[in-house]
Amino acid sequence: MRAPIGFRIRNQRKSLAVSQANLARNVGISPSYLNLIEASKRDVGGALLQKIAKALELNIDKLTGESEQRLITDLGEAFADPVMQGASITQEEASKMVMQSPNLATSFVQLYRAYIDTKTSNQVYTNRLKADPLFSELLHQILSQVTAIRSSAEIIEGVADLSQEDRDRFLASIGRESKLMSEVAQTLIGHFDQTLQNKRSITPTKELDDYIIAEKNYFPILEDAALALREKINQYGSFGEEALLATLKDNFSIKVVKREATNNQSTQFIYNAEKRTIYFFGSARASTRQFQLASLFAQLSADDLIKMQSDSPNFTLKQTKILCSKYLASYIAGAMIFPYQQFLQAAQLSKYDIDYLGQKYTASFEQVAHRLVTLRQKDASGIAFGFLRSDPAGRLTKHFPLPGLLLPNSGHACPLWAIYSAFGSSEPIVRQIVRFADGSRYFFIAKTTSKRLSAFNEQTMYTSVMLACDIFHAKDIIYAKGLDLGDETNDVEVGPSCRLCTLKYCAHRQEDALYPI
Amino acid sequence: MKIDVLIAEDEPGILASLDFILKRAGWKIHSVTDGQAVLDAVKTIKPKVLVLDVMLPIKSGFEVLKQLRLEQSSKNLPILILTAKGQEKDKELAKELGANAFITKPYANVDVIEAVRMLMGINKTDKRQG
Repeated sequence: MRAPIGFRIRNQRKSLAVSQANLARNVGISPSYLNLIEASKRDVGGALLQKIAKALELNIDKLTGESEQRLITDLGEAFADPVMQGASITQEEASKMVMQSPNLATSFVQLYRAYIDTKTSNQVYTNRLKADPLFSELLHQILSQVTAIRSSAEIIEGVADLSQEDRDRFLASIGRESKLMSEVAQTLIGHFDQTLQNKRSITPTKELDDYIIAEKNYFPILEDAALALREKINQYGSFGEEALLATLKDNFSIKVVKREATNNQSTQFIYNAEKRTIYFFGSARASTRQFQLASLFAQLSADDLIKMQSDSPNFTLKQTKILCSKYLASYIAGAMIFPYQQFLQAAQLSKYDIDYLGQKYTASFEQVAHRLVTLRQKDASGIAFGFLRSDPAGRLTKHFPLPGLLLPNSGHACPLWAIYSAFGSSEPIVRQIVRFADGSRYFFIAKTTSKRLSAFNEQTMYTSVMLACDIFHAKDIIYAKGLDLGDETNDVEVGPSCRLCTLKYCAHRQEDALYPI
Repeated sequence: MKIDVLIAEDEPGILASLDFILKRAGWKIHSVTDGQAVLDAVKTIKPKVLVLDVMLPIKSGFEVLKQLRLEQSSKNLPILILTAKGQEKDKELAKELGANAFITKPYANVDVIEAVRMLMGINKTDKRQG
């Protein structure tokens, strides 16, 4: 399902005072077809979209409207709230609102979020007032302290023949009780703030997601830093685990200890900063060890840079900055392991053979897939991919959006997607060509991976990783080999998720749609 | 001879000021800081009036009130309840358990003095405070 690109094309064309006929001629299509595109009655992508973007002097990412998609989804959620009873909006209306009055749409969503936050605050306070013994105790303490202060002050003020000794005694009481009251008040406020933060409509994960999407998951400054760090590592030998170990030991006195995994091991590695030791447990594969060593080196060497990038004024929550720091350290690690230009070339030459790239760079399927998503450098970009990861329960645990494709950012995706069928498949890679209700088509590839090797008695942890790209690019991907990309009769009809899907009749629907169908 | 007034209050700042104002009002003041000590002190001191905070450690003021009203020696003891819980239901409960007067914290010193004086029988209007 695509963003309302048609509106954007029309608006940009009009702002440049270019006629439909002229634009159509420039990009090699008929004016009537262009008209259909602008009315969002035909999808557009690939080479044609690039021609249109160039003719309209626009960066192609600006045409694909990722932020508009999210705004359309947010509008849908706002109108689906019971408070909007009696008012409704169709998806088409929401799209029009976003494209024609973006500020109005944004303001509406902000207002809705403020309403949710206020409603949540009220509920939190109400619940606390009703039931929280700590609140009751704190309130009692405050009232007691106020009583002591008031009573002492009245004595000082009202007793004319008060001895100096008594005056001093009651003044000291006022001072003491005031200090205690301040401490209790701070405890009370902190008690509410923590609860409130956990229930706000904006979470640290969502704030971080917004940031990554705004940056299009590409950070040139971190790419440069990664190259510089890789050069340092190369002084100790060819890039890899051994060179990383030597670099960490020499520069930061870091030791590495390998231990056997015990029963019910909950993690593959632990870093003890105090002991300056990183422990790897028997289940940690070479790709994991390399990545974690690279990530640690990034954290220690590029600490100032990471901190500066994480200190974004857009982050309203403290936890977001912490999450961002971890994410950026991982980004640098990925950029070290897969240096941009070299990796891009290898990816293109191998036709994005993830298994081959994994062997070449000693990396897991997920690590390679993740790096492919970040190849967004202007004038030197790879195929634009979207990325999803799911657990066996169907929960999406990681996502990077594809411009033009509405990926659910939490919860569950459409149950028909390859990301889920990969769990039950004996095929190493599950391939799928999907078609959305608006006719847009995408190529999905998915693979089930296990996070650790398990002993017979242990439960293996499986995840499914999926990459998605526009069907126009599928011919450049090795996994499309043997598929008839032009034959739409075999397409799987899907939606983004049940809530966002406009298919009226689907045997696999699990939830009601957000918008009326 | 001065009249004995027993104060039951665990908050030191409040206790100090109550002690001062009630002594200044002419009464002999005794004080305890927990609910069990109230029961013991009532038996030994036999105060004329008890000023009783509700939120006491060991036994709450309401538990103490209930117990005092069950015993012959204290069932008619004038008791002034002091509490931060000023809801109507708390006043009703205090009255039901047998309190004679009820003052909500924070209070004016003069209101406490007036209430104790009233309970002493000095103020003949017998009006309830609260």
